[in-house]
Amino acid sequence: MNFARWVAIYGPTYLTGLGWTAVTAVGAACGALIWGCALLLIRLSAGRWGARGVDAYVQLFRNTPVLLPIYLIYFAFPMIGLPWPAVVCGGLALILQNGAYISEILRGSVNAIDRVQFDAARSIGLAPWSTFRKVVLPQVLVYSIPALGNQTVLLLKDTSLLSAISITELTMQAKLLTEQTGAAYEAFIVVALLYLLLVSGTEVLFRVTHRAVRWR
Amino acid sequence: MLTSRIRHVVAAALVAILVAAGSPAGAQEKSRLDIVLERGKLIVVTLTTVPPFAFNDDKGQLVGFDIDIARLVATALFKDPNKVEFVSVSAEGRWPAIESGRADMGVGGTTTYPDRAIRVAFTRPFIDSGISVLVSKKSGIKSLKDLDQDKYTIANLNNPQMADRAKRFFPRTKILTFDTPSAQFLAVKSGRANALQIDTPSAEYWAAQNKDELGVLPGLLGASQNNGIFMKPGDFKWWLWLDTAVAEMRTGSWYPQYSEIYHKWFGKAPPPQKFYLQQ
Amino acid sequence: MPPGSLALLAQGAVVSLLLAAAAIVGGTLLAVLLAAIAFSRFAAVRAVYRVYVYVVRGTPLLVLALLLFYAMPALDLRTGPYIAGTLVLIVYAGALFAEVFRGGVLAIPRPQWESARSLGLPPLAMFRKIVAPLVTRYTLPPYVNVCVMSVKASSVLSIISVWELTLAAREIIERTFAVFTILGVAAAFYFVMCFGIDRLGRLLERHLALKGFAGERA
Repeated sequence: MNFARWVAIYGPTYLTGLGWTAVTAVGAACGALIWGCALLLIRLSAGRWGARGVDAYVQLFRNTPVLLPIYLIYFAFPMIGLPWPAVVCGGLALILQNGAYISEILRGSVNAIDRVQFDAARSIGLAPWSTFRKVVLPQVLVYSIPALGNQTVLLLKDTSLLSAISITELTMQAKLLTEQTGAAYEAFIVVALLYLLLVSGTEVLFRVTHRAVRWR
Repeated sequence: MLTSRIRHVVAAALVAILVAAGSPAGAQEKSRLDIVLERGKLIVVTLTTVPPFAFNDDKGQLVGFDIDIARLVATALFKDPNKVEFVSVSAEGRWPAIESGRADMGVGGTTTYPDRAIRVAFTRPFIDSGISVLVSKKSGIKSLKDLDQDKYTIANLNNPQMADRAKRFFPRTKILTFDTPSAQFLAVKSGRANALQIDTPSAEYWAAQNKDELGVLPGLLGASQNNGIFMKPGDFKWWLWLDTAVAEMRTGSWYPQYSEIYHKWFGKAPPPQKFYLQQ
Repeated sequence: MPPGSLALLAQGAVVSLLLAAAAIVGGTLLAVLLAAIAFSRFAAVRAVYRVYVYVVRGTPLLVLALLLFYAMPALDLRTGPYIAGTLVLIVYAGALFAEVFRGGVLAIPRPQWESARSLGLPPLAMFRKIVAPLVTRYTLPPYVNVCVMSVKASSVLSIISVWELTLAAREIIERTFAVFTILGVAAAFYFVMCFGIDRLGRLLERHLALKGFAGERA
């Protein structure tokens, strides 16, 4: 059957996949941001060993593919008594991986903050945690918006790997439809288009946010 | 001078178009049987994680009942069981490998279904099968009725027949879908799923290997089924030869070789050649 | 560790490295072509580049691989998993390398272009003696980064049944259930490969910088 008819018939089944992709992407992105900030905090405040620890963590996740933690958490955790649901396992793997990259992005922006501000903060008696929360973090986040946007797009694309642990997101949906209807071309082209849409949407979102925040 | 060049280009283009248009339409495509005989080697696509049909042993070698049957086919073609190349794929990858011509035929615990036969052609069965449910004993499931509750999860393979059976026999059970039988198996072993559905010989093999943890539910999901060799449809010469080969293995001159393979993997004699012959 | 699994994982690692190498070589060649297209005089040709990069970077690698593997029979191509997988990696790496090269060319300061043109060199010589060395120095770090990404991307091909390190690990795990050990060793193999490429890149960077070019410190 031709493309248009196939899309008309099977289009709505993609909505489940779209929903799961969006939910895992948003959840993992927020989680990764929080985890990245936590890593940054550890790096800044725990002295040499803290910084080295974070470095080792970052190097580990930069030099290994994200499929490995996905498989590990999904298949191995139940064996040690932690049978978390698939979405949690996949989300956790994505958070651990992307948190590493985000902490590096934020670290780059920290160097852009004038040293003077740290001295000023200490002179008015701000505790390290408050310095971090009120001085460092807001500026670092604002500086990093473009790079964070880029990382979010990468995370969005990585959600497709969650199909390997049987989460019914977009890619899994395409595979199921291919098997059901034998129409491989149609199934995967629609999914590719949907991903392009999501990616473009995310990029626009970050660009708009960047512009809005810069005006303040 | 320009016009003569243009004329040459147009002529060349016309010839190219005619040749391209001529070839697929009326021309007799060579049969896969002739291609294989010329090539001197058989290319077989197979799943590789369905013991005892096709799986990797501890040394990483691909072995199994279906593998040996494929080697028997190669022996019939070339008198050499080693003139085979195996292409390993996941469940959905079987059909594109055949459709694209990458593989000549396929095996690997593949069951004949009418809707599947629209995409690939099957020989008559070279072994009987059926679908059983393997369960983890810890879950306490004793029958299919027990399984049909939404606190249980079953691991399916990614094909429509599995989804259909799940809907028909246990609509309330939660479903996980995986690419390969071994992923299904890992899901059950690691506790991700309580059960899986797969060909009976595979379920029994896994249960035998894990007597304490796993068991097979009595009864089949549906009827007794046929596993056959599959190939690209439309090639009568190839299908006829393969089907003849399978017929001879099960009921004719190659029964001894077939019987030997059957004993090796199932530890018992195959069904008799003909019902009226005493073995 | 289950017997024989270390050898299998090592073999898998070699396959992953070969896939990445094919992606890097093929991708670089493709990227040179693409970068030439990116700087074409004709807007329509430049648009081809932009569309290509947009599609390849906006679609997950897995979806591209599945598209090629499952949909290609329709084009009558004899693709097995390996050919499809290598092609996808080359397409993917090509787009990433092209963006790196394009960025490198754009990063060359205007004065360099003008002085190069004032020398009156023919275009090919200008490319060989001025553009290429400058672009190489500007793009080496991101280039090495894409090389590392190619190694990691090869693990995605395991899902379309290309036998490499990740699939080897999965097969062993599904047979023996030693999930932590096997995945740990597999991760170690990837780490050594990626970290190694990264260090090699840094070594190369320092070696090239010593030659004192384009304002880099000697």
